[in-house]
Amino acid sequence: MSVLPYRLVLSPRLAVPRWLRAATLVGGIAFGLICCAIFLIAFGVPAGDLANQFILYVFGNSAGLDQTLTRAISLTLVALSVALCLRIRFWNIGVEGQLWMGAIGATAVSFYHIGPWFLRMPLMIGAAAIGGAVWCGIAAVAKIRLRADEVITTLLLNYVAYLFAQDLLYGRWRNPTDQFPVSPTFPRYEQLPTFGGWHLHYGVFIALAATAFCWWLCRYSRFGLLSQAVAENRTASRALGIPVARITLTTACLAGAVSGLAGFSIVSGEEHKLTQFVGNDYIFPSIAIAYLGRANPVGVFIAAIAVAGLYTAGDSLKAFYQLPDTVVVTMEAFLLMTVAAFDVFIRYRIGLLRSQPKAIRAKAVPPAEARGTGA
Amino acid sequence: MNGFLADWAGAVPVFAAPFLLATTGLIINERAGVMNLGAEGIMAMGAVSAVIAMLSGSGLVAAILCACAAAVAITLLFALLAVVLRLEQVLSGLVIFAFGVGLSGVLGDSYANQPIKALGPVAPRIFAGLPHWLGRILDQDPLTYFAFVLPVLVWWVLERTELGLRLRAVGEDAPAADAAGVNVMRMRIGAVLSGGLVLGLAGAHLSLVGSQVWVNGMVSGRGWIAVALVTFSRWNTLRAIGAALLFGAVQAVIPLILSSGLNVPIYLIQMLPYVATIVVLGASGIGRTSLSAQPEDLARPFLREERR
Repeated sequence: MSVLPYRLVLSPRLAVPRWLRAATLVGGIAFGLICCAIFLIAFGVPAGDLANQFILYVFGNSAGLDQTLTRAISLTLVALSVALCLRIRFWNIGVEGQLWMGAIGATAVSFYHIGPWFLRMPLMIGAAAIGGAVWCGIAAVAKIRLRADEVITTLLLNYVAYLFAQDLLYGRWRNPTDQFPVSPTFPRYEQLPTFGGWHLHYGVFIALAATAFCWWLCRYSRFGLLSQAVAENRTASRALGIPVARITLTTACLAGAVSGLAGFSIVSGEEHKLTQFVGNDYIFPSIAIAYLGRANPVGVFIAAIAVAGLYTAGDSLKAFYQLPDTVVVTMEAFLLMTVAAFDVFIRYRIGLLRSQPKAIRAKAVPPAEARGTGA
Repeated sequence: MNGFLADWAGAVPVFAAPFLLATTGLIINERAGVMNLGAEGIMAMGAVSAVIAMLSGSGLVAAILCACAAAVAITLLFALLAVVLRLEQVLSGLVIFAFGVGLSGVLGDSYANQPIKALGPVAPRIFAGLPHWLGRILDQDPLTYFAFVLPVLVWWVLERTELGLRLRAVGEDAPAADAAGVNVMRMRIGAVLSGGLVLGLAGAHLSLVGSQVWVNGMVSGRGWIAVALVTFSRWNTLRAIGAALLFGAVQAVIPLILSSGLNVPIYLIQMLPYVATIVVLGASGIGRTSLSAQPEDLARPFLREERR
């Protein structure tokens, strides 16, 4: 780096003032949105229409708000799942697979008519939670017992769950009446009720309850305190007698269960059957939301609504400008990239140093004869 | 059955080559202490750029160069986040993964599902005298040949040259390397960019040789499998050849089974590579010594001013 006249110097910060944290987050989001705007303009969206797309269609009319809030339910749940795991530094990249397993579990209860009709809904919820918990638990056990990196195992389990669902939809569970790859439609008592006339359904209460539970768990429970210790230093926690393996496994199973609930809320509240599109595109949004919400359950809830708005905007962009689906993921990547990059201001004090020490020394220590004549 | 085996054996190198290239690129990264989880996205960028170049009328060489350029461009972003800004490497990798997959989908939208003229075998005549099955295995395209030569070259550079020694020192103990006068940041950026270049080649192989078309999401987890193969081959590019051949064989058998007309559950068969990867990754952790080849400072950002 000596070719450059200045050198970037990062020095770690010990204490971070509150205003700096807030300013960094706001700055990161603002810069990310500017990047997104430039990106969209480059792909042919007129600059003047951007404000319309983002504000009017997303929050300005009831159809947009309805779509945004409905999407926010599943996004909140999957992001809570990632956030819970992040708190013990366990990377859960497998929410999509856990969501699929949850949806499959719930649909299985419906398909095989397990339990009387009035117990059907709780059984579906339980099956969804177990399906998700098992799927995430596999990765946790592999990490604890076999030291297999959970990033890779959770991610690959997404594909396995997706293909398992396809196998069911094209095989045993295929709708017998029209041969479409969807399961039979759930009867009324297996569907989450909606708010009169809206698509928004009672899954909102599941999302709120999960947020409240996670908030209590992280903030007030003994478990939350212990997991904080595990996050800081696994070796030291083990030396202190904290059951690190048990905490890892419990957290992973809880997180998987929460993702599974997202699967339940989609099949029971939105689709009313298992379809091929239940678990599309949740991996990266869940990580982005968890990070934007600073792995704090309440923050996650707020971030989920904001990102859900991004999807609503993306839908109208798709309709008006024929942009592909992946435009939303790209925008999320921009946002997360800038927010994460701005975090450097929180962690380090940044300075520029002249990288030509020779020149500096020449100024600081004048030659001997010059000094001599001066005196 | 001889026909089936010959078909299978002949297809293995083509399926193994992208794994081999990607694993080799990732090993270059990881030996310098940088874990790049963005492989999937970088490969997608390589694949789409090659197809766009082909469909825009440039030649095969230009297409491959385009793939490398696109891959290096997006890898530069990763280097900025993970090496210069010292962000958590897992997070940086995931961002690049999403960015590459998303951007490749947007860029390739109007080029999707259009077949291109493929990169074919170079010299079928030479192998005419050999037994049928051996001819099928040896008769490949230039990119596949290169994929099998590169790991040997990389192994030689890493293990037998001073550059390799410096690179490995940065990956094993960055503070010590720094104290010995190695510029850690420059070495890591160099390793990340050359790894990204090779990942771009892997992507180009997927679209130019493998599918001969761009389909959104066509990398379908191969980048992630390659990340696991790095552990499986114990950070050694020569072992990566064996690992890639194994996974190439698994991947190559799928289309053969599907087209054989046997009554098998097709979706469960497609799980094979993913399940095999998880099994292999778990098996790598069983022995006491098997993970000891992991670079000591893997995924640990280095900052001279920071106490460790």
